[in-house]
Amino acid sequence: MLSLLSAAMLPLPLRQFAIVLMCVAPALQPAWAAAQSAPAPATELQERLKRVGADLFSPRPNPARAIDELKSILAVDPDLAEAHMLLGIAYRAQGSPELLSEAVAELRQAISLKPSLALARLTLARVYLDMARASRAREELEIALEELPGRPEVLSLLGEAERQTGNAKRSVELNREALKADPGFVQARYYLGLALLDLGQHAGAIRELEAVAASGANPAEAYLGLGTAYLEAKRIDDAIGALAKAAQADPKADTRIRLARAYRLKGRLNDALQQLQLARPSATEGLSALYQSVESDLYMEEGLIRLQQGRLEAAAEAFQKVLGLNADHEAAKRQLAEVQKRLKDARKKPGESS
Amino acid sequence: MSLARRSGGAVLAAIAGAVASLPATEQGVSQVLFEDVTAKAGITFVHAAGATPDKYMFETFGSGLAWIDFDDDGFVDLYLVNGAPGSANALYRNKGDGTFADVTARSGAGAKDHNGYKTGVAVGDYDNDGRLDLYVTAYGPNILYRNNGDGTFTDVTARAGVAGRAREWSTSTGFFDYDRDGDLDLYVANYVDFRMDDNPWCGLRKPGHRMYCNPTIFDGVADRLFRNEGNGTFTDVSARAGIANPAGKGLGVVFCDVDRDGDTDVYVANDLVRNFLYRNNGDGTFVDVAYAAGVGFDANGKPQAGMGVDCGDVDGNGFPELFVTNFSEELNTLYENSGDAVFQDVSEKAGLGSGFLPLGFGTKMYDVDNDGDLDLHVTNGHVIDNVKLYQPNLAYEQPDLVYENTGGRFVDRSAASGPTLQAPRVGRGLAVADFDNDGGLDVAISSVGRRTTLLRNLAARRGNWLQIRAQGTASNAFGLGTTVRAHASGTLQVREINNVASYLSSNDTRLHLGLGAASRVERLEILWPSGRSQVLENVPANQILAVKEPQ
Repeated sequence: MLSLLSAAMLPLPLRQFAIVLMCVAPALQPAWAAAQSAPAPATELQERLKRVGADLFSPRPNPARAIDELKSILAVDPDLAEAHMLLGIAYRAQGSPELLSEAVAELRQAISLKPSLALARLTLARVYLDMARASRAREELEIALEELPGRPEVLSLLGEAERQTGNAKRSVELNREALKADPGFVQARYYLGLALLDLGQHAGAIRELEAVAASGANPAEAYLGLGTAYLEAKRIDDAIGALAKAAQADPKADTRIRLARAYRLKGRLNDALQQLQLARPSATEGLSALYQSVESDLYMEEGLIRLQQGRLEAAAEAFQKVLGLNADHEAAKRQLAEVQKRLKDARKKPGESS
Repeated sequence: MSLARRSGGAVLAAIAGAVASLPATEQGVSQVLFEDVTAKAGITFVHAAGATPDKYMFETFGSGLAWIDFDDDGFVDLYLVNGAPGSANALYRNKGDGTFADVTARSGAGAKDHNGYKTGVAVGDYDNDGRLDLYVTAYGPNILYRNNGDGTFTDVTARAGVAGRAREWSTSTGFFDYDRDGDLDLYVANYVDFRMDDNPWCGLRKPGHRMYCNPTIFDGVADRLFRNEGNGTFTDVSARAGIANPAGKGLGVVFCDVDRDGDTDVYVANDLVRNFLYRNNGDGTFVDVAYAAGVGFDANGKPQAGMGVDCGDVDGNGFPELFVTNFSEELNTLYENSGDAVFQDVSEKAGLGSGFLPLGFGTKMYDVDNDGDLDLHVTNGHVIDNVKLYQPNLAYEQPDLVYENTGGRFVDRSAASGPTLQAPRVGRGLAVADFDNDGGLDVAISSVGRRTTLLRNLAARRGNWLQIRAQGTASNAFGLGTTVRAHASGTLQVREINNVASYLSSNDTRLHLGLGAASRVERLEILWPSGRSQVLENVPANQILAVKEPQ
C-alpha cells in the first residue's frame, strides 16, 4: 500500500504523466559517447562503467543488474559523477514511479559533481517530464541547450517541456528546428504532432503522427496520439482503428476511455461501455491520484453514453461523480443541468420513459 | 577557543549527594515504564501547527524540543520549538522539585517575531563560555541564540552568519567539533526546495481529500556545515567539506564515530532518498560512504522515508549501530555495525517488526531500565491528517513504541508499558534527559498541534547508573564527541557524549550509563575530542560525575 499512497500524493494534473517519452536509448547514445570522452576515472572503474553503459543503452537493457553494479562502483568511488548519472538512468529505466525520486537524486548529484555532464541534465529533464514537472524540465533543458546548442534531442525535449507548460507554439518551433537538424528524429516528430494537436491544427498533427506510427516506434503512444488527432478531426473510423491498436499495445485506462468515446461517436454504445468497463480501476487503483486523473474522464464518458442511450438517471449519476471529483468541471455541470431539466420535464409527463 | 569556563562541579557534587542510591535489582522492566507528568510539572505548551486548507507540507512535519541546562544549576531545562509564524517557542526552567516555570518572556528566546515556520533545535556551547546556547531551524531563516548567562539569550545570527538562505527549509541540526579544534561547528540538515507559491494539490480532488504532498515531487536541498571560527562567527564550508549534496532531503541527523577512528562522522536520514553516511576524513572533509557501508537503503536496496535517527552500540561489540525511523509500512531500520564500518540491515532479525505500520519520527536509544544496554523508543504519528480516508487501517495519531534490548535483540514492551505510552499522539520530536536527577532517563515528546508530553521514568526495577558531565578544556566545554569506555562487573560499554539524535531535537549533554547490579565502574576510560585521555577507577554508581579534561 505504500506505493498506492505515494502515487496518491502525486500532484495533479497527471495526464501528462502518461505521455511516456519515446525512443530514449537512441536519443541518448551520442551524448553517452560524449560523456565517455570526459576525463576518465580509474581504469578498472571506467571499464565497469562502460560495460554498464553499454548494457543500459542496448536494445534489451537490464536495469536491475545495472543498479547493482553501479552501487558497487559507487561503494569504491562515491564521487564518480558518471556512475551517479548512469544510476539515475537505470532507475528511470526500471519504470517504477517510486524510483523516479531516487533517479532525480542521483542525476542531481551527478550534475553537482560535474556540471558539464550534459547527458545527466538531459536525463534529469526527461525524468521531470515523466513526473509532470515540466517547468523544472524546461530549466534544465535551457541550460543543456547552452551546453549543446542545436542538438536535436535537447531541442525536442525543450519543445515538449514548453508544450506541457502551455506554450505549444514554441514547441512547434523547437521541434521543427530539431527535425531540420535530424529529419529522421521520431521523438521530435511525435512531439511536433502533439503540439500541433494542442494548437488545433489537426491536419498537420495527423500528418506527423501518421509518420510516427508508420515508423513503428512506441506504438502505444504513437497510436494514442494519432487516434486522438483523428477524434479531434471527426475521422471516427480512423480513430477507432488507431485507438484499438494503441489499446492492444498498452491497454491503459486513458486509451480505453478515448476508444470508448470513438465508439460512442460512432453509435456503438455497447462497445463503448465495454471499453469503459475495462478501464475501471481495481479496488486499490481507485484510490490513487494517478488513476483519478482519468477517473473523471471515465465518468464523463459514461454520462454521455447513458445520455445517448436515453438513460437520464444513470447519466445524471455519472455527471455527479465527475463533479464529486472536480466541482469546477464545466462540461459536467452543463450536462448535469441539461439532464436534470429533462428529468424534470419527464416527471411532468407521466408515462414517458426516462 | 578561549573564555572562562564555569565548572559547575560543586552543584553536581551536591546533586550526587542528594540522590539516593537506587538498589541494584533484577533485570527487566516494570509493567508501567512512564508516568505522564506534564501537567504536574507545569508544562502547558501546545504546539501551533498552523494548519490551513492549503496543506503546506511543513504544517505536518512538526517541531522539535531540547533539553538544555541553560542556567547551569544541574537541573536540565526544557526548550520547546513552536511551529506557525507568530507562535512563540517556550523555555521552561526546571525548578529542581519536579516542576518547571515558563521563563520564555524573560529569556528572549521565544522567536515570536519569526515569520517562517520553526522546526528543529540544537544545543551546544559554541563560544565555550560554559553556557549552553541554542540554534533554532526553520522554514525561513534559522536563529542562533547566545546564552548570556543571566537567564537571557541574545539573537546573534547575523553576526555569526548561520541564518542559511531566507527560504531554506532546515530541519534537524546539531553542534559537533568535526575538525577537533576545540570549538563546536554546526551541521544543518535541509529538506526540500519548497515554495509557498508553488504548492501543488496532492491527493484526490474530492472534498476533504486534499493531503500533504510527499517529497518526491520536490527537489532536495544540500545540507550545510558551518565551521566555527572561534571568534563568534561561522563560515559555510559545506561544499569544501564535501557535504553539499543537492540530492538530500534531510530530516534526521546523528553524529557518532562509526569507524572508531577518533573523529565524528555524520549520518543523515533522508526522506525517500537514500541516506548519507559522511565519514570524517580527519582533514576537514567528509566522504559519503553510504554505498560502501550499506546504510543508504533497506535490505531490499530501496530508499526509505527516513525521519528520525540515532546511533549507539546495541549489541555490545564496541561499534555503534545506526537506527532510522521510517514511513508507515516500512520497517524502522537497524543497521548493525560489524566493526569494519560495514553495516547490515538487521531490522527484522532484531525484532523490530512491530514498527511496520506506524510512522516513526523521534527516536532515541537509551537505557530505560539501567540494565547496561541501550533500549529503543520511537514516537509515531502519521503525516497525513486525513489518512483514514485513504487507508482506514492507519491513524494520524499513533502510540509510541518502546523496545527492550535483550542481548542485541529487541522485545516490544509498548503494550505492557501502561496507558501513557499507549496514548496516541502525532509524535515528532523526542528528547531524553534525567530531568529530576533520580537516575532514570525521562522523555519529552512533541506532537503536531497538540500539547508536549513529559514522561517520567518509573521503571521500578531500574539498575544502578552513572551520569557524566564532561568539562572540556582543550576540547569543547561540554565534551561533545568524547568517547567513554566503562568497565563494570565484567562488561564494557562504549558510549559517546552526544546530544544530537532523534528528529528536530536535542538530548541532554550529560552521558547516562545504566549499570545494572554493578555498584561501581571499575575503570572509566575517557577519550576527549582533543586526543587527550584519562582513566578513572572505582567510580561509585548512582551519581552525576563531573569530569574535567586534563590540562
